[in-house]
Amino acid sequence: MKLESHGIETDLPPGWEGRIGVRTQPTADTRAAGEVSAIGAAREVPHPIVHLANFALPEQRGDFGSGAVDLMGAEDVLVVLFEYGPECADTALFKRRGIPKNLTPSMFSSSALQRTLPGQAGCQIFFTEAGRAFCSYTVLGRQANALRVLPQANDTLSRTRIAPR
Amino acid sequence: MTAVVVLLGLVVAVLALLVVGLLRSHAEILKRLHQLGAGLDPDEPGQPASPPPTPVTSREDFQVMPQVPSPPDREAFGGAADLVGVGPGGNESLSVRIQGVEHDTIVAFLSSGCITCQKFWDAFAKPRKLKLPSGTRLVIVTKGVDGESPSSVASLAPSTFPTVMSTQAFTDYDVPGSPYFVYVHGPSGRVRGEGTGPDWEQVSSLLSQATVDAGLTSSLEGQVVAKPDADAEREARIDRELFAAGVAPGDASLYAPDLTADEGADDGQDHAHDHGGDHTGHDHP
Repeated sequence: MKLESHGIETDLPPGWEGRIGVRTQPTADTRAAGEVSAIGAAREVPHPIVHLANFALPEQRGDFGSGAVDLMGAEDVLVVLFEYGPECADTALFKRRGIPKNLTPSMFSSSALQRTLPGQAGCQIFFTEAGRAFCSYTVLGRQANALRVLPQANDTLSRTRIAPR
Repeated sequence: MTAVVVLLGLVVAVLALLVVGLLRSHAEILKRLHQLGAGLDPDEPGQPASPPPTPVTSREDFQVMPQVPSPPDREAFGGAADLVGVGPGGNESLSVRIQGVEHDTIVAFLSSGCITCQKFWDAFAKPRKLKLPSGTRLVIVTKGVDGESPSSVASLAPSTFPTVMSTQAFTDYDVPGSPYFVYVHGPSGRVRGEGTGPDWEQVSSLLSQATVDAGLTSSLEGQVVAKPDADAEREARIDRELFAAGVAPGDASLYAPDLTADEGADDGQDHAHDHGGDHTGHDHP
């Protein structure tokens, strides 16, 4: 099942579904108010976000999977690729090259989660690919099942391509 | 005296012929009635009763309300497929898995333009009132950007259910028009019910019936004697491998080819898999 948008392409394995999109840009009203709203902060320029999961993704999701992680089962995996502005590419934080495709259980920790939920674990890796800066954020529904479910996540990541802007 | 005796004999002979004719006629009538099943005691064992004649309604006699599409010109349910398309507004690329998942899915094919569809858009904006069957996901499908206005769909699409703009999905599911609804059983990936109606209440009733029927089937399946673990594991592995190879349930390749057309031409040939059964439940060493 192929998905392609915003220069990002993936061929999802059986059992996976995904979204590649850009969050709605803050409106003139939110810019004028100068406050952080549900759709982002004023002067923020949204960049593409990829959500890939081996479970049914809910429509109400945050950039880093809030709303989706609450629904995860023990065998579920969520992969987020969050793009940052072009000024971040090749900077110290994003010096790693290429999409991480070989995640191991030791990379995961509950302290890496954006929102801590019992049994879950996360892994965050910053990288630059095709001149574009990304964060790869992976969440496991249950850390104890990492050995069993991580091959699925690695397979999905290895099927994902990022093209230059 | 002799003439009287002869005359009496002739009269008796004629009457005897009449009686024989009447008896034969009566026997013929009884035979026909027996063939039609009349006069049989249904409680009596060993007496097969003929089924009542089935009323036949031709497709031409079947009419629907003007605001809903006519049923498709086919006998069985259509196919099911995973959904790939763009989101409302055309800004997002998305895929929704329908087959090989634990939950069931109701796929609602709608249009931004039709008046009847508006009732469904309004209903889907209030998810709590929908009373969806438990363990069921609702996915809305419109035609792609070639047949729909992304901005119109974006203004109608509810925030709680996935909305996929995909013309291909209309083809995959053989949708006769919108609004149209297909109920897909997730684990098997098979369509269990489809149809349409003027509002969500009617469609919900239709889908509930499909769900009840499915529940009955499941309860009957629960009465089947369990297979040994090794057999069950082997079946599950084969199913997984077939699905990974793109062979979904109901795929034509799972069934033996129809050899009646060229019967005789292959006489004497050795067929490797010509035993008429399907291969979903067992493997060959």
